[in-house]
Amino acid sequence: MDAFFASVEVLDRPDVVGKPAVVAHDSARSVVTSATYEARAMGIRSAMPLSNAKRLVPDVIVLEPHFEKYRHYSQLVMKIFHDFTPLVEQLSIDEAFLDVSGAQKIFGSPEEIAAQIKQRVFEETGLPCSVGVASTKFVAKLASTKSKPNGLLVIPEEDTLKFLHPLPIDALWGVGKKTAEILHKRGLHTVADVAHSPEQSLITALGQAAGAHLYALSWARDNRPVTTERVDKSIGKEHTFNEDVTDLEKLKATLLFQADHVGAQLRKAQLEARTIGLKVTFSDFESLTRSRTLPEGTSVGREIHKIVCELLDDLRIGGRAVRLIGVRAAGLVEAGGQQLSLWEDDVDPWKDAEIVIDQVDQKFGPASVRPASLLRKIEPTRESGTPG
Amino acid sequence: MKFQVNRDVLSEAVSFAVKMLPARTTLPILSGVLIEASTEGLVFSSFDYEVSTQTKVAATVETPGRVLVSGRLLAEIANRLPNAPVTFESVESRIQVSCGSANFTLLSMPVEEYPTIPQVDGETGVLPAEEFSSAVSQVAVAASRDDVTPVITGVQLEITGNSLSLVATDRYRVAIRDIPWESTGTVADITALVPARTIQEIGKTFGHSGNISISITNKDDRELIAFTADNKTVTSLLIKGNFPPVKRLFPEKVENYAVVNTAELIEATRRVKLVVEREAALRFTFANNGLTLEAIGGEQAQASETIDAVISGPDVVVSLKPDFLLDGLGAVHSEFTRIGFTSVENPAKPGPVLITSQTSKDTPSEDAYRYLLQPNLLLR
Repeated sequence: MDAFFASVEVLDRPDVVGKPAVVAHDSARSVVTSATYEARAMGIRSAMPLSNAKRLVPDVIVLEPHFEKYRHYSQLVMKIFHDFTPLVEQLSIDEAFLDVSGAQKIFGSPEEIAAQIKQRVFEETGLPCSVGVASTKFVAKLASTKSKPNGLLVIPEEDTLKFLHPLPIDALWGVGKKTAEILHKRGLHTVADVAHSPEQSLITALGQAAGAHLYALSWARDNRPVTTERVDKSIGKEHTFNEDVTDLEKLKATLLFQADHVGAQLRKAQLEARTIGLKVTFSDFESLTRSRTLPEGTSVGREIHKIVCELLDDLRIGGRAVRLIGVRAAGLVEAGGQQLSLWEDDVDPWKDAEIVIDQVDQKFGPASVRPASLLRKIEPTRESGTPG
Repeated sequence: MKFQVNRDVLSEAVSFAVKMLPARTTLPILSGVLIEASTEGLVFSSFDYEVSTQTKVAATVETPGRVLVSGRLLAEIANRLPNAPVTFESVESRIQVSCGSANFTLLSMPVEEYPTIPQVDGETGVLPAEEFSSAVSQVAVAASRDDVTPVITGVQLEITGNSLSLVATDRYRVAIRDIPWESTGTVADITALVPARTIQEIGKTFGHSGNISISITNKDDRELIAFTADNKTVTSLLIKGNFPPVKRLFPEKVENYAVVNTAELIEATRRVKLVVEREAALRFTFANNGLTLEAIGGEQAQASETIDAVISGPDVVVSLKPDFLLDGLGAVHSEFTRIGFTSVENPAKPGPVLITSQTSKDTPSEDAYRYLLQPNLLLR
């Protein structure tokens, strides 16, 4: 989807059409969640502090985010995809891979299918989207990015390398700022440069897995199938404070809220986390993460909170001002998959209590039951992660 | 102080004293080995307030005395000395060690600050060393290594009449073995909870000692156990608290069971477990006079293997953690293993499996070793 959150907001604000606008909570510390193409043309990007965006474009229109709306439209769009093929791999709220190899008899060539999808999405939601068609998942994603906004780009299998090789290396999946830096230092700037270096030298530079992976991608070798079930690698919740916080008690209260949230998410997904992580970003943007791996998985918010508080205490942050704090649960395993014990003497009462809280929340709405220490108002925490 | 001692006798005595010391100690003085020379010979001692060792050694003592020297350093020196008699002589605050052409000067630690080594008197009973040693190695594998629950980090000794049971558990499995016991004291039935690490060292050291004399005493509210054999004595504080009543978890009778070749199952389990992550379980299907092991849940790799099994009763599928199974199989000490399947009332929990030894496919062995293991839920 093209500028998904922004496009959804604009549906209800016809007056904004064609003007630079961003989706963000209008406060001093927020960041841009999504920007219209008009705003992007003027240099505004997602994840940019709102204050910077306002400096660039003083009359930028700020639209309040509505996550429930995005979920609604996301579901509508995914439903349309499922009319074309059951093989839909939803990558995020506004992206998905579709394997249409089996749908060609009914709907025509991949290009025709792509055009039909674009048309139906626009007719039924009013939202623009871009479609990349290719023989592998990552080239399809590159093609869709390249065709934005409101585009359609087909890369036939035989033209894949012709399309891929002139691209800058950071277009490749898994190449972020750090990796790009390492490769630039070695004089590698385009995908073709990577493709024509010896695989071993990439492995030396980046390590076994990353090096081999990058080399394969540079030759468009990506044999991952479109998988309909995606396994979550981690579940997290983080929060940027409106004003930097030094009070340890307040930080811990925020962590309690986050830990309870993460616990509830884990239980909902019937998962347990083996690794609990804490992330702290200070006012000077120095960011620290600490994690601990447990002998047994947990989905109990109380336990997660205890661990992140210990991790926070171990950081000995003194009076340093904290800008962002977050909890992450990783090493996810299926609940009940771990070793059962021969006898039960210490059934964790908190787990049962939290399951009951889940049920109450389901019936009466979120936060119907919450820890007394959170009755003092804490800042609402936004969903972590931004759509791609 | 001055004495002369055989090199091998010295090396053995010092390494035993040092072996029982913790790798790191908060009190430097506890890293020392105490050497006491008297007309009766030498005594080497070590102590860390929980465990103590004493070894009596014959030596030619010229001048009696007491010195304290760094245990690890002395042990390393003793291991490397040439084959010749070793002479110790204290000169002011130093100790001179000479052996053949080698000479060492060691600093004497302040012997007057060294704590008093606990003494136990009165024997409670006697154990056959070899059986004790093998029982400890069979049982201690099941003890918990997690200090969060101290009571299950020990091996429980339960004495009733002429029998001593060793029991250990980490909540996921229980291992038990009974060995003969000859009571020589006045008290009949006793229980004692000994730290697993200590009892394992004792089992290894005293394995060929004939009989081990045991003494359990209660002094100044501290319960203490002493093991004595071959001029060596080890004392250990007992772990306080109540050991969970795990004996009642064992079923009285098991009708449904399978018998497999122990080595075959060990080999197959080690192979199949290669593809799963550390904590993951394997699936064991007992059917058609065979046992099929499958590694499940791995996205990337899968493995399976089938070995022979003689099955009595209905076919069974269980999910077991491979390392836990291997601990049990490694402890049966027999060519064949019987795996019994029990049922429990709780429908949400599979019944534990009972591992015992078999001398042949048809004959259970006399060995009173039992290993009870809780299977996981079958996920697929």
